[in-house]
Amino acid sequence: MTSLGMRKFKRDPGLVSRMYFTMFMLGVLYALFAIVLWGLSVPIVFIAVIVGGFALFQYFSSDRMILWASGAKLVTAQEEPELHRSIKRLADRAGMPMPKVAVIDSRTPNAFATGRNPENSLVAVTTGIRERLSERELDAVLAHELAHVRNRDMRVLAIGNFLVTLTSFMMTFLFFGMFMGGGRREGGGNIALVYLATIVVYFVGQLLVLALTRYREFGADHSGAEISGDPGALASALEKISGQMARIPEQDLRKLQTASAFLFIPVALKSGGGGSLFSTHPPVAERIRRLKELERRMSFGMR
Amino acid sequence: MVLDRLFGRRPQGKTDWSVMSSIIRAEQRLMARGEISPSRRGGLIFRNDESIPFLRDLKSELDPVLYSGPGATKTAFEIQDDEHGMRWVVMEDGNFEDLVSSIYTVGNAMGANGAADTLLAAVFELYFTGTVDDNSFRSGLRTYWIYRYDRKAFYPFVPTGESTGDRDKPTEVSLASRSRRQGMVIERNMEEWMGLWGIPF
Repeated sequence: MTSLGMRKFKRDPGLVSRMYFTMFMLGVLYALFAIVLWGLSVPIVFIAVIVGGFALFQYFSSDRMILWASGAKLVTAQEEPELHRSIKRLADRAGMPMPKVAVIDSRTPNAFATGRNPENSLVAVTTGIRERLSERELDAVLAHELAHVRNRDMRVLAIGNFLVTLTSFMMTFLFFGMFMGGGRREGGGNIALVYLATIVVYFVGQLLVLALTRYREFGADHSGAEISGDPGALASALEKISGQMARIPEQDLRKLQTASAFLFIPVALKSGGGGSLFSTHPPVAERIRRLKELERRMSFGMR
Repeated sequence: MVLDRLFGRRPQGKTDWSVMSSIIRAEQRLMARGEISPSRRGGLIFRNDESIPFLRDLKSELDPVLYSGPGATKTAFEIQDDEHGMRWVVMEDGNFEDLVSSIYTVGNAMGANGAADTLLAAVFELYFTGTVDDNSFRSGLRTYWIYRYDRKAFYPFVPTGESTGDRDKPTEVSLASRSRRQGMVIERNMEEWMGLWGIPF
């Protein structure tokens, strides 16, 4: 990315500082993890190989893994000229290189971006989101995803996820150690302590990653709105995809007659909602409120 | 007569008249603003159960309920079956208030004669003209209001096709908020806004 392109849209300073803070905290956890391994008398070379190997593997294969896991299919400009045109136009406005474009054959409305840097990025949309959103709304969503790429959110997320993955490996490993009697030369009490520490590390790590992903959503909403110049369109897209509209069922009332017995539990579970500490995205209502506020400010020419 | 009072235009039945009649004032206000234009049609959907005597020959049971006594109306009706094995009382009346009242009366008559559990919903058809929340415009769009007997509240339903799942959610949300502001009783839990695709009117 050229520095010229960067200057065109200011990066959200709060986002950047929080990212660094989270990276720092993740680093602290990383060190703690290494100490735990060290305490288990795992050879240091082996620790480095595990940690480094996983990091590199995740870093360089994340886009392919995501493509494979999501069932996204890369599409050429010949196959999807309109989608390519929209993304090219938005990428130009954001001063970014053109990302790869992929389509997922799914009725669920969704979109995502991935890639370790803007030069190696990918934007994917489902067929469902293209059906449901207007052209303006889809552009706003694409701009939001491009903003994720430009803010390099995926890199930090990859580090966070890597740590969490590794820690869960560790937990499994220790479980085996405890129950198969394959303990180390130190006592079983030590192992239990280490295990407890691992859980704490895992849990705190998860919370940090989640807090970061929630915050970067606001950041991508903001810079995405700057790229598309249309915060209102993103607000209405959000409303359509996951606002109150998403709660309107696509079932027939006549089907309810037979299924009502089974509906009780899912509805009861759903109403739990999940605490905000554990969610990956900030509340949609709050995102919409901020976007409408931004829309007002942009329409008055203020920043 | 007791029967006339029970099945008259403003009967004291099981369904809360204050809830069902909330559609009348709300829609009249929206009509006055040109956002809604009335259709003559409405109906009532129920699960046919031949073990209930009242449902065996519903047409001849409903004739006296609707057309005799002080509560007599001019609402026309016919009975139709749909593809899902449900039965409809399809009603037509140029006067929206009379239409609502007649549908209410039929529902109460069925409820009072052992068929309360078969009742699914009352449905009203209206045309909507206006701007929806996503800034797109709708002109004379056919919309429905569904009153679910088990929930005792209304919700909007705007199918965009015959197949299950196709519905115009932005218009529905917009209609619901407009009508709620006019005092209509709207189902608050949107997960209960089940559609009825292939309404026979």
